[in-house]
Amino acid sequence: MIPGNKDSRDGYIFCIPFLLIYILFMVYPLINGFIISFFKYNILSTKKFIGLANYRTLFSDSKFYSSLWHTTQFVLITTPSLLILGFLMALFVNSKSPFKVAGESIFFIPYVFSMTVVSTLWAWLMQKNYGLFNHLLSTVGLNPVGWLIDSKWAIWSVSFATLWWTAGFNMILMSAAIRQIPTEIYNSSSIDGASYWQTVFKITMPLIKKTLSLCLILQVIASFNVFGQVFVMTGGGPYGSTRVLIQYIYENGFSYFKMGYSAAMSYILFALIMICSLILNKIGGNEDD
Amino acid sequence: MIERKDFKYYVLRIIELIVLIIWLFPLIWMALTSLHVENDLISKSFHFLPAHPTLANYTKAFTSTYILQWLINSIIISTSTMILTLIIDAPIAYAFAKIKFKGKNVLFWLVMAGMMVPFQVLIIPLYLQFNSYHLINTSLSVILPRVALPIGVFILKQFFEGIPNALEESAFLDGATRYKTFSSVILPLSTAALTTVTILSFINSWNDFLWPLIALNDTDKYTITVGIANFQGTHGTEYALLLSGAVIASIPQFVFYLFFRKKIVEGIAMAGLKG
Repeated sequence: MIPGNKDSRDGYIFCIPFLLIYILFMVYPLINGFIISFFKYNILSTKKFIGLANYRTLFSDSKFYSSLWHTTQFVLITTPSLLILGFLMALFVNSKSPFKVAGESIFFIPYVFSMTVVSTLWAWLMQKNYGLFNHLLSTVGLNPVGWLIDSKWAIWSVSFATLWWTAGFNMILMSAAIRQIPTEIYNSSSIDGASYWQTVFKITMPLIKKTLSLCLILQVIASFNVFGQVFVMTGGGPYGSTRVLIQYIYENGFSYFKMGYSAAMSYILFALIMICSLILNKIGGNEDD
Repeated sequence: MIERKDFKYYVLRIIELIVLIIWLFPLIWMALTSLHVENDLISKSFHFLPAHPTLANYTKAFTSTYILQWLINSIIISTSTMILTLIIDAPIAYAFAKIKFKGKNVLFWLVMAGMMVPFQVLIIPLYLQFNSYHLINTSLSVILPRVALPIGVFILKQFFEGIPNALEESAFLDGATRYKTFSSVILPLSTAALTTVTILSFINSWNDFLWPLIALNDTDKYTITVGIANFQGTHGTEYALLLSGAVIASIPQFVFYLFFRKKIVEGIAMAGLKG
């Protein structure tokens, strides 16, 4: 190759702009945040090294545990339901239904709207006195439900809105994988007299296993990072019953200005996400071989 | 036998149709609500269609809130982010795909590891960092942390690798430099992948919530995503106004979607299949 002798130099020059920004706004804050987590640091006062004290406090902070639990609840509710729903949608848009093209657009469209728009809309649908859901309940003679203000329902309501918002995203990923399956495979199975659901379980699912496990990991990560929907729809209420971990991190950092404590908490979240994705990756990967 | 199948066929189609209508309905409801007179929404009698259709909520949203300013802010921030992403992502992806140099693999994994880092982990250190630069409460503070997009590097690298080396080599024989072949051979052939990355970057930036919420203090500096959330706090019970705000906030994204529908869907699929 002609520019061979200049390759090294050119290689670095092409990398520099990205690396500069990447190191400055990603690598550096990532390291700096970890360091801050060992300090007592309130923006106004000076930094004071306190070793592992932030982490120790954290493990005896009941609000930390409850926030972590709410995040976990959200992960446990939304991950399986979003995967199943996304998969059913993907099957539908790859079926012979005359509505499959319309279906692809309609299922995907909520994802086009931003989180705050979706949350505003669902907070209105679920409003206790004037919302559509309770109007519908009352027309069939049922009592109104405090979807977002009753602690029994709130996390489920937020999860449901999230389901509507992002299921279409999983549909697109899974549908793309389904389309890559050669049609001959399906033809031979239909000759063998396999039913539709047999084909789905025996052919479609195993063949898109890689995509399914990718969706699973992406979904777990996204659900662990939940904040916006909850913040807008319930504000973490009623009585903190939906306060998720990121909200608690946000409150500690920017309402109480406990920067060090807040940083420590975000590293625990980071570690949890890493561990979960590694485990899921391992499970998915091992089955592959 | 044939009759039974036909019956089942129609039942299935009807169920599908109902599900699709229900799925779409919240959006229709958003539009309908925004056309109601505020008091009609909280009256005892329930109106499905607006009894006195009005655009007053839209007028009010535009005149008595910062919504137009928020839209402009979002467009400026997302467009700048997207352009800067392309400017820095494309060259490094090219280097990873086509140039041999020392430390390439280490660098590549360093960049890919970035995909694993949840942005939320960075908010405290980023806030302190931008605070020390005196850039808090500026658009720049929202733009800069979102510019380096590892998934974009990945998508572009995969695409560039698929371009035959022979195309570049003939240009090199004519005396072209790396920069020349990159800009006149590689980039023109890569519009598909570049569009995908552009769209991902734009959507990413447009939907960003937590970081702009922290980085921007003044109401008139908000992005639309933060602004609409702020609306909830300040106009919490004016539902028609809230929902007309939500409609206005959605228009740019919706237009963006209509224009790039296929590209957006392809982009997501591409990022997924290759990841």
